[in-house]
This record gives sequence, C-alpha cells and structure tokens, in this order.
Amino acid sequence: MVARSNATPDLEPLRELFRHHIESFDYMADKGLEILFESVKAVQVDDPFTNKKLRIWLAEPKLSKPDKELLSNNMDYKPFPYKFRQAKISYTGSLTAKVYFQLNDGPPIGINFKFGQFPIMVKSKLCYLRDAEPQDLISCKEESSEMGGYFILNGLERVVRLLILPKRNYPMSLVRNSFSDRREGYTDKAVVIRCERKDQSSVTVKLYYLHNGSARLGFWIQGREYLLPVGIVLKALIEVNDREIFERLTCCCSERDEREKGAVATQLVRERAKIILDEVRDLSLVTHLQCLKHIGEHFQPVMDGMENESYSVVANDVLKEYIFVHLDNNYKKFDLLIFMLQKLFSLVDQTSVPDNPDSLQNQEVLLPGHLITIYLKEKLEDWLRKGKRLLQDEINNESKYFDLGNVEHVKKVLDKNPAKQISSAVENMLKTGRLATRSGLDLQQRAGFTVQAERLNFLRFLSHFRAVHRGASFAGLRTTAVRKLLPESWGFLCPVHTPDGEPCGLLNHMTKNCRITSYFDSQEDIRDFEKIRNNVVDFLTNFGVTPLWPYLDKRGTPAVLSVLLDGHVVGFVPSSEVENVVAELRRFKLSATSKIPGDLEVGYVPLSFGGAYPGLYLFTSPGRFVRPVRNISIHSEKSQNIELIGPFEQVFMEISCPDGEDGGRKNASPATHEEIHPTGMLSVVANLTPWSEHNQSPRNMYQCQMAKQTMAFSSQAIKFRADQKLYHLQTPQSPIVRTSAYTSYGIDEYPTGTNAIVAVLAYTGYDMEDAMILNKSSVERGMFHGQIYQTETIDLSNKSNRSERSNRIFRRSNVDKSMHSLIDSDGLPYVGQMIRPNEPYCCIYDEVTSSIKPNKRKGSEPVIVDYVAVDGKNKNRLQKVNIRFRHPRNPVIGDKFSSRHGQKGVCSQLWPDIDMPFSGVSGMRPDLIINPHAFPSRMTIAMLLESIAAKGGSLNGKFVDATPFASSVKKTEGETGSKPILLVEELGEMLKEKGFNYHGVEVLYSGVYGTELTCEIFIGPVYYQRLRHMVSDKFQVRSTGTVDQITGQPIKGRKLGGGIRFGEMERDSLLAHGAAYLLHDRLHTCSDYHIADVCSVCKSILTTLPLPQRRRATREIRGLSLIRAPKKVTCLACQTSRGMEKVPMPYVLRYLAAELAAMNIKMTFQLNNEFK
Amino acid sequence: MDGGSTYQRFPKVKIREMKDDIMKFELRETDASVANALRRVMISEVPTVAIDLVEIEVNSSVLNDEFIAHRLGLIPLTSDRAMSMRFSRDCDSCDGDGQCEFCSVEFHLRAKCLSDQTLDVTSKDLYSSDHTVVPVDFSDPNDPGEQRGIIIVKLRRGQELRLRAIARKGIGKDHAKWSPAATVTFMYEPMIRINEDLMETLSLEEKRSWVESSPTKVFDLDPISQQVVVVDPEAYTYDDEVIKKADAMGKSGLVEIEAKEDSFIFTVESTGAVKASQLVLNAIEILKQKLDAVRLSDDTVEADDQFGELGAHMRGG
Repeated sequence: MVARSNATPDLEPLRELFRHHIESFDYMADKGLEILFESVKAVQVDDPFTNKKLRIWLAEPKLSKPDKELLSNNMDYKPFPYKFRQAKISYTGSLTAKVYFQLNDGPPIGINFKFGQFPIMVKSKLCYLRDAEPQDLISCKEESSEMGGYFILNGLERVVRLLILPKRNYPMSLVRNSFSDRREGYTDKAVVIRCERKDQSSVTVKLYYLHNGSARLGFWIQGREYLLPVGIVLKALIEVNDREIFERLTCCCSERDEREKGAVATQLVRERAKIILDEVRDLSLVTHLQCLKHIGEHFQPVMDGMENESYSVVANDVLKEYIFVHLDNNYKKFDLLIFMLQKLFSLVDQTSVPDNPDSLQNQEVLLPGHLITIYLKEKLEDWLRKGKRLLQDEINNESKYFDLGNVEHVKKVLDKNPAKQISSAVENMLKTGRLATRSGLDLQQRAGFTVQAERLNFLRFLSHFRAVHRGASFAGLRTTAVRKLLPESWGFLCPVHTPDGEPCGLLNHMTKNCRITSYFDSQEDIRDFEKIRNNVVDFLTNFGVTPLWPYLDKRGTPAVLSVLLDGHVVGFVPSSEVENVVAELRRFKLSATSKIPGDLEVGYVPLSFGGAYPGLYLFTSPGRFVRPVRNISIHSEKSQNIELIGPFEQVFMEISCPDGEDGGRKNASPATHEEIHPTGMLSVVANLTPWSEHNQSPRNMYQCQMAKQTMAFSSQAIKFRADQKLYHLQTPQSPIVRTSAYTSYGIDEYPTGTNAIVAVLAYTGYDMEDAMILNKSSVERGMFHGQIYQTETIDLSNKSNRSERSNRIFRRSNVDKSMHSLIDSDGLPYVGQMIRPNEPYCCIYDEVTSSIKPNKRKGSEPVIVDYVAVDGKNKNRLQKVNIRFRHPRNPVIGDKFSSRHGQKGVCSQLWPDIDMPFSGVSGMRPDLIINPHAFPSRMTIAMLLESIAAKGGSLNGKFVDATPFASSVKKTEGETGSKPILLVEELGEMLKEKGFNYHGVEVLYSGVYGTELTCEIFIGPVYYQRLRHMVSDKFQVRSTGTVDQITGQPIKGRKLGGGIRFGEMERDSLLAHGAAYLLHDRLHTCSDYHIADVCSVCKSILTTLPLPQRRRATREIRGLSLIRAPKKVTCLACQTSRGMEKVPMPYVLRYLAAELAAMNIKMTFQLNNEFK
Repeated sequence: MDGGSTYQRFPKVKIREMKDDIMKFELRETDASVANALRRVMISEVPTVAIDLVEIEVNSSVLNDEFIAHRLGLIPLTSDRAMSMRFSRDCDSCDGDGQCEFCSVEFHLRAKCLSDQTLDVTSKDLYSSDHTVVPVDFSDPNDPGEQRGIIIVKLRRGQELRLRAIARKGIGKDHAKWSPAATVTFMYEPMIRINEDLMETLSLEEKRSWVESSPTKVFDLDPISQQVVVVDPEAYTYDDEVIKKADAMGKSGLVEIEAKEDSFIFTVESTGAVKASQLVLNAIEILKQKLDAVRLSDDTVEADDQFGELGAHMRGG
C-alpha cells in the first residue's frame, strides 16, 4: 500500500487504442444513420382497383441516449452503464424515424415510427460517460481509465471484431482457379473491385478474362451472379462510338519497343479491343440506347419495383445500383472500366503481376459502426418490402375494403410487421455475432462478428480492441498462405502478437502506433469526403495532372500514369513529373493549413519491368490502416514532420529503421522517411516484454499469449461488477524491470504479477521439466494469493414462462429452520457467509403451489458470498438478484506460473522455507526455484537480464527501463565519441557497486545441511505472472460413478464426475510394459465389466433371457443368500436352459452384437475350455 | 583419530552485537549440522503468538474478509510469553476460544471512517485482552509523535470494520506468520592468507585492480606501505572473484582462502515478536527439548542394542 502520486496520468495514448471503435459508432450516430435512411429506396404500392399509388420512404432517424425507463419506473438519476451490467440488460437507446407516405403525387405525410431499442456503444457520443473525467468515472462506478468501445448486451460486454476486407475502390488483379470454373471459356484471371456506396454498403464487381480475348463483367444481385459482356456495359454507360472505345483501350500500346520500362500493353490488346467490339456488334447492338434496352430487358425480372418501367430506365438503375457504385457519374464509371480492362490485359500479358489479396497492401478494416450500418440497411429494406407485401395483400383481399389513402389504416397494416424488431435484430447480431441476412452484405462470413470482451486482465481486455481477424472463412482453409507474415504488414500488424495454433496468423493485433482512418478530422468534425476529394483533384490539376475529359491527350501508360482517387480515374500525369507530384502531395499532407488531409494515402506505384501495375493511387477513405513515421525529406520542426502512411504506399517508400547503424540502406535509394521508434512495430502487449529483442522470437509470442491469460488485478471497480467469472490477484506488484509502454498505457493500474526472488538451480528434483518450487512461507505471506469472483443471476420473471402465471418470490421457509443459518429472512444468503457444496444459497417460494425450493451450490469446494445485489425495477416484488461468490484460490501444487519471457511452469512443491537454500550474506531465501535447463534451448536471455537488472534496481531503489531496441536508438541519436556500453556491462557494474557479484550469482548454502552449495547460484527478482489455469478448476478424480447408458462405460466430463479416457496410446504403453493385470483392470474391470449368458447351442448372447425367479421364503433369510442358486436362464431361440454359459466380457460387445443383429448379421460365440 | 579419544566438543558462543531486533554472534567449535539446526529452529520452531482466527462482524472496506484476516495474521505480536503458553490443540481446559489465558488471546478491532479523509486502520487499533500480547510497536522511542502501526486497511467515509480476533501460539513450520525470525543466516569464518612474496611481484596498478576485483571490501591497499592488507575478512562472500582474478593475472596462489569448518558467524534478525537474544535462547531451549525427546523416546531405548554406546551417551548426557 504505497501512496500513489496524485498527478492524473495521461490517458491519451490509451484512448488512442480504442478510438477507432468509438469513432466509427459516433459517425454512425451522427451522420451515418441519416445517410443510410435516405439511401433506403422508397417502395411503391399500387392499388389496381382505384389506380392509387402510395410511395413509402424513410427519413430523419433519431437515436437517443439510453432510457432510464429500462431500469426503473421512477428514478431521477442518469442510467449509467454499470446499472445495465448489473441488471443484465442491454445498454440501448430508442431509435425513431419518420416514415413518409405519399399518395399519388399529393403532399407527403410523415409519421413517427419507433424502431425499437438500439444498442449504444459505451463512451460513444450517446453514452452518459462520454466526457466523464477519471474522477467522474469512479463515481459512476467504472474504472478510472474506462475507455468504452464495447456494447453492453444482457449485461455482457461485447466487442465487434475488426475484420479484414479487400481495400475498397481499388481494382485488384487476381488469379484464381475458381474463376475458370464460372462457365466455359473463362480463364483464371480477373480484376476485382469492391465498390462502396456513400452509405457504406458495398458491391463487388469482377471483370473476368475469357479465353477468346474478351472480358465479362460480373456482379451479384440477390445471391446470383450476372455476367455481362464488357462491350455492352461500355456502350451502355455513355454515348460513345467504337473508335473512341478502341482508342481508349489501346492507348497503352506503344509503337516502340514493348520491353520498355513500364510498358504494360502488348500488340495483343488491339486484337482484344476488336473482339470486344465485335462481340457487341454480333448481338446487333450498335447504339447506346440499344445496349441499355438489352440490359433492361434481361434485368427487369430481378429488379424489384421496376416491373412497369421502360427498359432503359431499368438498365440505368442496374448501372447505378450495381456497377461501380462508388461513382456517381457514368463517365467516371466508363473511365474506371477502361482502366480495369487495361489492367486485366496487362495481367494476362504478364506485363504486371497479380495483386496479393492476402497482403495488407490491398486490405482495409471493417469497423463496428460500419457493420451495424450495412446490417441495419438490409433490415430496413426488408421491413419496407415486407410492409409493401402486407399492403398489397390487404388490397387484394376482396372481402374487405382497404383505402390506401387512410394513413392510420396503412400504419395499422404496417404494424403487423413491427418496426421494433429492426433494432432487436441489430441487438441480436451484436449478441451472437451472427448475421441473419439474405444477401450476405458482400461479406465473406456470416458468424463471428462479435466477441465477448473478457476482463480476465487488462491486457486481454485491451487486446480485444486491437485484434484484427482475417475472416472466419480462412480458418478452415487447408493452405497456410493467408496465415503468412508478409513484409507489407510491417509496422501495422504485430509480428509477435498472434496466437499459436488454430487461429495463428489469422488473428493479428495492430501495433501500438497503428490507427484506423476515421470519419472525423482533427477538430472532431465529420469529414466531407466529397469536398476532400474535390480539393485533392484541384490540387492535382494544379500540379500537372491532365483530366481525362475532354479526351485530347491520347498517350498511354509508359508515357503517362493514371491517377486514381478512391477508385475514380482523375486523369493522367506524365511519368516524368509524377515524382514531383508525389513529393508535393506529401509536403502538403503535412502542413496543417492545406486542404489535403493528413491521412491521404499516396500510393505511387512506379514503372517497372513486369512489377505491380503502375499508377498513382490516392485514398482518402475511412477504415484504412495508417501509422505515423517521420518524414526526413522535409526539413521542419520535429513534431511537424510526422506523416501518416498506409500499407499501400509503404511498400513503395523508403523508410529507414534505426538499428544502430545506417538502417541497412544503400546509397542508391536514400531514405525519405524514418521510423519514430523501432518498438512501433510491436503491439501493446508485445511491448510489455522487457528487452524482448534479446529473446528467441517464439518466446515473445508465448509471452503475448500468456500475458492474456494471467490472473491479474482485473478491475478497480470489482465491487460493482457482476461478470460471470472474474479472476483477481490479491497482492500484485508493479514490475521493477519495465518498458516505456508500462507508463504510457497506465498498465500499473492493473498489475499482472509479482516480483519474485528466483533462484536458478536444480535443487530437489521437483523442478524438472519446467516444474517450479515455491517457497511455502512466501506463499503463506501472500505471494500469488488470489480469488475467483463468480456471479450467479437469478431472474424469477424470466423462468416463469415455463409454468404459466406462477408467482415466485424469494423467501425462506419458516417451518424448516435447517437453512436459517445460511439464508436470511428475505430468501437470500448472508453476505460473508461460507457456503459448502450442496448447501442452499437462496430460496424461492412459489405462491401458486406454495412450495419452497432452495437453490443449491454445485461444485466441489466451499465458496463465500461476496455480495448480493437486487434489481429494484420492480418495486413491489423482488424478481432479479445477482449473488456473487468468492472462490479462494491461493497457490497450490499444480498451479501454473510464468515469467514474462514465455517461461511457464507448474508448481510442483510448496517447499518449506527452512529447506530452501539461503544466502550466507543476506540470509535471503528464494521465493521460487526454477531449473537451469529452462534456458539453453529456449534462449530467453532477457529473463537473465531481467534478473540482474531487477536486482540492481531493487538495490538502488529504482525502476529499470527495459524498452527493447533502446541501444540502437541511442546510437543513432548521435552520442558521438562515447563508447557504446553493453547492456550487460551496465547492469553488472550496478551490482558490483553494491557489493554483489558482477554476473548476478551468489553463494548459497543448502537449507537442509547448512553447507555451501558447490556452484554459485544465479538469483534475482523476476516478475512472475500467475496464469489462470489452476488445478482446483481442472482436476478429475473418479473411482466409480455414472456410466454411459448404451455402452456401460464411464462417461467423460469433469462436471458430470466422469473420468479421463484411457486411450489407445495409453494402452500401448501398458502393453509395452507387459502390465497385463493393470491393463485388464483399466480397460475391463473399471470400465464395462459384464457377465453375459451365452447359449452354447445357438451360440448367441442375444437370445438368452433370465427366467423370473420364484421367490421362496427361505431365501429371504440372511446368510443363506450366499448360496443362492444360479439364476435360471433360458435361450428363447432354442427354448431350453441347457448349454447356458456365463462369460465375462465388455458390455459393448453385447451392444455390438445387438447393433449387428439390427443389420441382419448374426454374431456367434464359439465357447471352449481349452485354456482352462 | 585415535581410538580412545572422545568426539565430544563444547561449542562456544561469543556475542558481538546485541540489540532488540538484531543479534550477531560467533559460534565456535561445532560443525555445520549444529549451526544449521540452530538456524532452522530459529526460523521455524520457536513459538510465537499470532492471530489465527478472525470473526468479522462488519466489513465494508475494499478488502475482502480473507484478505483482512490474512493481513491480521501477519502482524507480529509480542510473544515473550509464548514459550510458556500451550498450543490450543493441547490445551485441555478450553477450546482455544480466546478466553483461556494458557493458549489464546482475544483482540478487538472497531474502526469507522467518519471524515472525508481516508482513515488508516493500523495494528494500533487492535485491542488486546492481554497486555503482554500486543502488536509489536515499531515507533521510534525518540519520536513519540510518530505513529508507525502496521496498516491493515484504509477506510473511506462510511466504511467500517469491526471484528474479533483470536491469537494463538504456533510455530513457523505450520505457517510463516508464527515465525519470529525475519532472517537468520550464518557464514563460515574465512581464513585469508596472502602470499606476500607473490604479491610483491605485482605492480601497484595490478595490486589495485586485484583489490578492486572483489565486489565487497575485503582487501585494501595500505596507503603508506602500498601493501595489500586484509581489512575485513568477514566481508568475503566466498565468491572466488579474487582467486579468479589472480589466476587471470597468471599469479595463481596469490591468496589462499579457506572456510573454517568449525566456526560460524550468525546474524539473527527478529520480527519483533521476541527479542533477538531471546530468540536464540529459545531456539537452544527447543533444540534441547527435541534432543530430549529423541533420548527419552521408547524407540531409542529399544534400539539400544544397535546403537549401544550412542544410546548410552544420549541418555547419560
């Protein structure tokens, strides 16, 4: 209990880690919903009898802050999130919107509709905690550093998982075998673009290459892919003649050498252009209008609400709704399609390489607000469509009159499909992470969108918000290509922090500096992307970019480069000037006053020999990864030259990383940028490993895993929490050896372990194979003490649907006084009471049946009632309570511990203090002994360094900084002249000054004999974590117990009192030992031992039947039962009792015989006495 | 050894320093087994009194009941009477409920915070039913104003702690809270012999670097004669640094260091439950009792034939 300094810690770095979640939700609440409601297409209901038309559309959504009515009927305080957690309900605000009805062309009538209770993200703009200071948060019963970013649903905290999506509005060339399976004549090559509308819903368009040289444009409508010849689309988009199309397509074909640098087109392109045009002509489509009609004719059946429109209107709608939806203008679409064709041809001619869809370069991220928006859009469309159908049914129903003009009437019909279920659909999606959708929303998966934000410890909690998942569809893939760590992800995704095993490489974590571009600018205002794009275009034209229209400059790619801004071909820039434009863009990007946004991605793909398709690709969109680096080509003040770069541009940039030398860079390509600090490549959790650069890399990965399963100081507001399970370390410490990340992210508020004095020696043999010996006295003094908090929620109103109208309340029996020692008069337990297994912890009285039913504790260990919380919503009768139990979990043999270097071990003994080795000088005994064999093969040098450093640090009373890569940064910062001091020398001197051995070893004496140990022992404090895997939660014991119904073998499962399978490999080892009796005992006697009657006449075990015994009075006498006559058994098939034999066998054999008999196979048993 | 002589030795103790909480003494003419036995007994078998049972009436503090009970247990109580007390399991007259003066002591604690300032509940707030068994007072006698109780828990406005605790006699083997010793350690007395002839072959610079190779200040250079002298042999930690250094300089045998097998320097630090000197005496007393137990046990008598002389020796003293 050390007094803490009262200076408020800077929470900004921590807030930065959660920002993208909150901002995306804020945008949705501020603007996204409005845009979404506007973009939902109006539906039109026609009354064929009266010729009335009713148009229905949505507008003006309003999402309000959470209502206090959810908690109580009359309360005048604000409904803060903690109440929702405790009451196990969802933190929601009501969503209302206007539904407009317009009869024929009359004035629209707007009616307010309630769309139900919509989940609100904690700490978003609609949350009551939004602007709360740490002090306020504490009074709101939250953590002082609560960051929000999650939803509270049924009292559980759930986070939307960040998902990798293909980069929006960027045409990607792909080679995939599945493309050639589309139809006859298709190759495996295509250019794919995922276009995103303003309302964030997206449509993927694929441009396939055909063997005959033509191309097909593929897009999905309602779960079906439609393929159009590209020529038709080109002509349908704008009024254009064949020559123009030909010229545009072949502009890249240079007359000169095809092997020039950056040449992307070959002479074949001319042929292909011709084929494309011929294809259209063959369909006898010549004009723009003909093409439109052709499209309209084919698509009218699949377009909703277009039944009565003309073909060209339908075709225009198809083009508008499904082709390049990010562009608002057909000319722009035409340009993009031309560009994509050129890229496709270049891919086919192998003048450029395909893009890698698994590389971060071509990826962005799906944010919570984004996901909810697109899901909500589909739900609204469904609702409108269903409403239309209901109205149509009503009209067609001849039995009664229905007036479309009567708004009240219409509303009543619409209410048959309640609008409230829209919000609950969203809530359900967040609760289960499952999308219930027809279209699939252009996403690759249907489930796993949300996860529970476990507060096992702070690091685990935090990691949920930093994790980026590649997509569930890749998890089942046999290839490991998607899991590969690609160089493109440098600086954005942490190479260390990914789990081992199944999700390895699919579940990544963002580095500490990585951010996601947002919808808000630095002034917290919503960005107008339209305006930003216009500014960028203006800027580009000023710096030598020629616009496409009018189409005068007819040069192609090696001479000029296409400039794409968010998937819009802005124009061309001569390749001699492009470097200049890029440099100017970067310069203006940095200046705060310019109109170029700071997170603009300037993806300049230079000309090359068969490399990536060249061009200048600019991105302003939200949802991109960005990270800060220092621009050293621009000379300005230190803080001014921090540039945000994205993964697309990074690949083509020259960024030097301080490594103590020149960054491994040749003079030919001088660095224009510089990493801020090498630790920027690591995630927050990986940053907490001290001196991780001294460890073998897999050890750092293991540590990232284990840090997240450490039993730590999980929450400061633990008194007010009702989590199902919460692990809590009673006596945590702040580590002596720490990295800079500990301070900047306030990790000391949630410490994860203890500085234990660790001796490295083989002392008793109980430390073999990663076992470790704990000092019993240290444990008794409180080391690694902890408890599990477990909350049980009892909701009486909820269960009552089982039996109709049963009124149940909490009450104890006045008659039966046996449980009065455990349960108070209100039917609930006393706080602080210890409850043993099978003792009641609360008591429920059913008023209908007037019966009392106590709830009894299950499990095998006594627990203590930590607190009881009651839900006061229902004033008159108590219906819902939370009872929190405390399981003491002090270290015992079998518990798991780990250092911060991936060195985990199991406690094998609690060794008496007096038997531990002791130092002759200080008398100190170690808290913990580990075996020296833990080091040579694992090479966790940092753990040794930590031990020495912590020893020196504690002798000096100072924390030791162990930030990785510190030495390389120090050198580059130019401490000229001074010789670089090795870390080890620094630490060794520190010890020597205090009279300790330079190498961190000490002379120890045997605690048992009092004699000097033959070696000097390496001893010092190491920060140890206690992992959550504890024997008390895991051990399984069984001698006898429940058996399986069918096989008669012991069941499995710890909860059911089952056993652990003695499997084949275990059997093999016993066989190898020749332990026949033991084997027989395990596999037969202790399993399904059975004595079967076998009929030796018909050789069957199924036909035998024991005859009912005639009971004789004499048999009842005690003592005589020993000489009970053998049961009479007869064979039903042979109708005799002769030849009955008793044979012991596993019961499953009988089962097998029965199963086979069911398949008409008879199993016969040949009995003989040969072996007797 | 020649046949007739006896192995019996008479250990000698020479006290070097004796304060309430720390004691240093030399133990000579015995061997490591006795020295270590003494150390082990001091740590784990000298009885003290510590809080063993806590009945919590009200606890609205931030710490849970077990945590507070655990913290109470670790508070050292003055246990001068512990040697004469009974273990409550052996006490026939009572069940160790705090009422019996032979085996238990009752404590009460009542604290409630009524101000806006955080209230520290310390060991000073524990009221004992027996004035001989009280929480150890760590306050500086020279500064009476200073309150230095051991903090049990901190309370904020409205929080309350009310409990009854029973302290019992116990030994450190059962639980570390009953251990009266903070640290007990001993070292062999080193015998350091410098080979003066070889030393003279070293230059001054070499001498200095040799002297400095020892992390502790065992040797020094005499400023006048510029000779290496042993300043503090007991500062030597048997780390062999100087020997390694001599070897590295090519002067093996520059110094010879031997541990005296039969003399030990003890350092005893007490938690305050008993005085350090009393701790040593108690330990010797307990060691004696243990030997008596062996000597007088029936097993020993039965094994008389086998052990013959040894048995007689143990019985006869």
